[in-house]
Amino acid sequence: MGEIAVQFKHISMEFPGVLANDDITLDIRKGEVFALVGENGAGKSTLMNILYGINTPTNGEVFIRGKKVEHFDPGVAISLGVGMVHQHFMLVPSFTVAQNIVLSREPKKMGVFFDNKGAEKETEKLVKTYGLTVEPSAVVQEISVGLQQRVEILKTLYRGADILILDEPTAVLTPQETDELFAVIRKIVREHGMTVIIITHKLYEVMQISDRVGVMRKGKLVGVENTSDMDERKLASLMVGRPVLYENLDKEDDIGDEQIRVDDLVVGDNRGLVAVDGVSLSVRSGEILGIAAVEGNGQSELLEAITGMRKIESGSVTIRGRQINGMDPGAIRGIGLAHIPEDRISTGVCADASVSDNLLMGKERNPEFNTLGIAQNNAAIRKYASEIYEKFDIRGAGIDVNVGSMSGGNMQKVVVAREFSFDAPVLIISQPTRGVDVGAIEFIHEQIIQQRNEGAAILLSSADLDEVFRLSDRIITLYEGKVTGEFKASEITKEEIGYFMTGKRETEAAHE
Amino acid sequence: MNEKQNGFFANLAEKLNLRYIGSLVLSVLLAFLICAVILAVAGYDPIATYGAMWNGAFDSLRHVGDFLEYAMVLCICGLACVLGARVGIFNVGGEGQLLLGAIFACQIGIWLQGTTAWIVIPLAAVGAMVAGGLYAFIPGWLKVKQKVDEVITTIMMNSIAAFLCQYLAKGPWKNANKNMVAATARLNADYWFGNLIPRSNLTTAIIAAAIIAFAVWYVMQKTATGYEMRITGSNPRFAFFSGLKTDKIVILGMVVSGMMCGLVGMFRVYGVEHLYRASISNDYYFEGLTVAMIAQYNPVTTIYLSLFFAVLKIGAQGIELIGVPSQIYLIMQTVIIFFMAAEKGISESIQKSLQARRAKQAAIARMKGGVSHE
Repeated sequence: MGEIAVQFKHISMEFPGVLANDDITLDIRKGEVFALVGENGAGKSTLMNILYGINTPTNGEVFIRGKKVEHFDPGVAISLGVGMVHQHFMLVPSFTVAQNIVLSREPKKMGVFFDNKGAEKETEKLVKTYGLTVEPSAVVQEISVGLQQRVEILKTLYRGADILILDEPTAVLTPQETDELFAVIRKIVREHGMTVIIITHKLYEVMQISDRVGVMRKGKLVGVENTSDMDERKLASLMVGRPVLYENLDKEDDIGDEQIRVDDLVVGDNRGLVAVDGVSLSVRSGEILGIAAVEGNGQSELLEAITGMRKIESGSVTIRGRQINGMDPGAIRGIGLAHIPEDRISTGVCADASVSDNLLMGKERNPEFNTLGIAQNNAAIRKYASEIYEKFDIRGAGIDVNVGSMSGGNMQKVVVAREFSFDAPVLIISQPTRGVDVGAIEFIHEQIIQQRNEGAAILLSSADLDEVFRLSDRIITLYEGKVTGEFKASEITKEEIGYFMTGKRETEAAHE
Repeated sequence: MNEKQNGFFANLAEKLNLRYIGSLVLSVLLAFLICAVILAVAGYDPIATYGAMWNGAFDSLRHVGDFLEYAMVLCICGLACVLGARVGIFNVGGEGQLLLGAIFACQIGIWLQGTTAWIVIPLAAVGAMVAGGLYAFIPGWLKVKQKVDEVITTIMMNSIAAFLCQYLAKGPWKNANKNMVAATARLNADYWFGNLIPRSNLTTAIIAAAIIAFAVWYVMQKTATGYEMRITGSNPRFAFFSGLKTDKIVILGMVVSGMMCGLVGMFRVYGVEHLYRASISNDYYFEGLTVAMIAQYNPVTTIYLSLFFAVLKIGAQGIELIGVPSQIYLIMQTVIIFFMAAEKGISESIQKSLQARRAKQAAIARMKGGVSHE
């Protein structure tokens, strides 16, 4: 201990109009787990991208094990022992585990041919050394997300990394997988002296895994503390720059008529395989039904089918008493449905259009915005957009900039603002706060609960179990397209539900 | 206050798009420079050539009329391309739509020989629009329903249209005159568009063209329909998700684009040629498409640039008089496209180095003065 693995000296990084990193000086010690937390756009990823050589800082110096980095390039960073596991995995889905791991440094037969056996042997060796169990000959697209992540980590280890950067590693994991990941992290740190830097939004994970924590806010490093001296509340306040109240969403109990009804629904995925396999559910006004499922178990396809984005193979969906099979999203919206989609960039916004244009969508034919049906009323549109912008606390460079230039959290607020402004009695919400910072999460959650209290029927899906628990009245678990359980949110714990999410039965759960 | 000001300047900059104008002017100047070098190497006097080019366009009213007519063709073709691009479909088939529009418009005039121009001209216009629009509907429908790449279908359909017209002009609709190998009969002079400048190609068609250009601009920039087209073109999934009938919007955009091309064909026949033959269009749609691309699919810029390229093209005919091949015009056009395409990369690298310098200066200033950032 005490040895310095990475040293940032007065790092500044300027992007057009934004100072993403502002004079950051930080030492990361060898053999520690260092957590980097901060709101979206606080500059965490930028700082890590500098370390990994993707960004060249506009000012300042980086030292890796005392050696100054002269040239910022991922190749150089890798050769200096830096490895990074991105939030979105960089794996070739159709390759085997071994083939992915040795990619770019393949063992060769006779100096030319790819040596598959050799690759598997190398992988086997790595697996033994680090105790990260995976099957070298398994095809990546067929293994779970947790295992895929393990492959990513092994890949960096194969390349000789001893400084490992993990960018939001738990975003896609179940509680069990998260525990396993943390066990792995502890092991490689303890037994192999690795240095691990973990970027995360989840504060309880910081408390669980890290030795020290650095908090970033608006490009500045506002604090570096021993984790043992902190608690979640203190961390949240440091991140946001003001005290954060985290509990007590005010839920009223006034459940009304059935608004969403799904009967024996079957939906295919993009490859034509069955993704939703005979799901039935019902949501009444004034309640939130949460879907707990590991990504890729049919929840995306289910919500897309309900909103008309995906074809229904069989079964039926009834919104406010009208069967919507075969309708397009526009017709379904006409019945009184609004939808926050899973992927905001591809579906939720038009990145090349202004904030104002994005907020207007769906209302452009309203008489107040469309004078006599022949001319857009720009004054009214701007006034409306500005009001919504204020009301939903969107923080950016105003309503005229392109949405694509905003941070993820603000982009999400644009989506939430637009969809909630329809005051629709049925809301389909998917990943409402993915990649969104603490302050904005709090705000979005309040908005969702407000809609619920005003009588909306809400179907919610989120990869963040805490979120599902916090917001839902009832929870269903999905596994491989089937409902594996239904619970009152107040009567089950996260750990218990984790077993249903992985398809296990109660009897099996009891044994573990 | 500060934010308000920023917003205002951002707006102004956006309206003028200074960066675009700057790089366009620079590209044009560089194109003239490079062509001057090429001319000099080839043994021609660049200054004399450019002088002749100027004269070729402006020395007589007739030439002015000619370039205005050509600008009209470029402009409507360019706007047709812009319209397609706005809804996310790249209409490369305008040439075929134009030819079909031309031949049908012409044949309507022949069939209705003797009827008053008040009936013939509107019917011919409708015929041209129907022909062009239907011909554009096919690739539009294929793209939306069958996910067939419109670039491939439209390019191939250009050839089909060209051959079909050739067949009609050589066969069933052939001119009775044996010396005219591939042309339809000549229109009765009653139906010709009136000349605005004597002996030039400029006719009253330009009035119709101006109205069309205005209407296209107005719909695209000022109406809810234009807004929906823009959103559909830039993120069709978002548009569909938001409830727009994206299939309909894309097909409609394509059909209107084809209708405009068909009309250009009719303008060429009723304004200039007075019969159909293949030379009615010499890849004019492709030149309009080029203009639209250089204009980055902005309707207003397309209008201005059409004028500019029309002057170059008509002017280039003037340089033949002093023995310089008019193809120099093509080189110039190509060089401009090349620089405009590279513009983004070049200006980004300039911006990056400026930024680095600014950041460094700011850092130095901060160290010296200890000025806080907040």
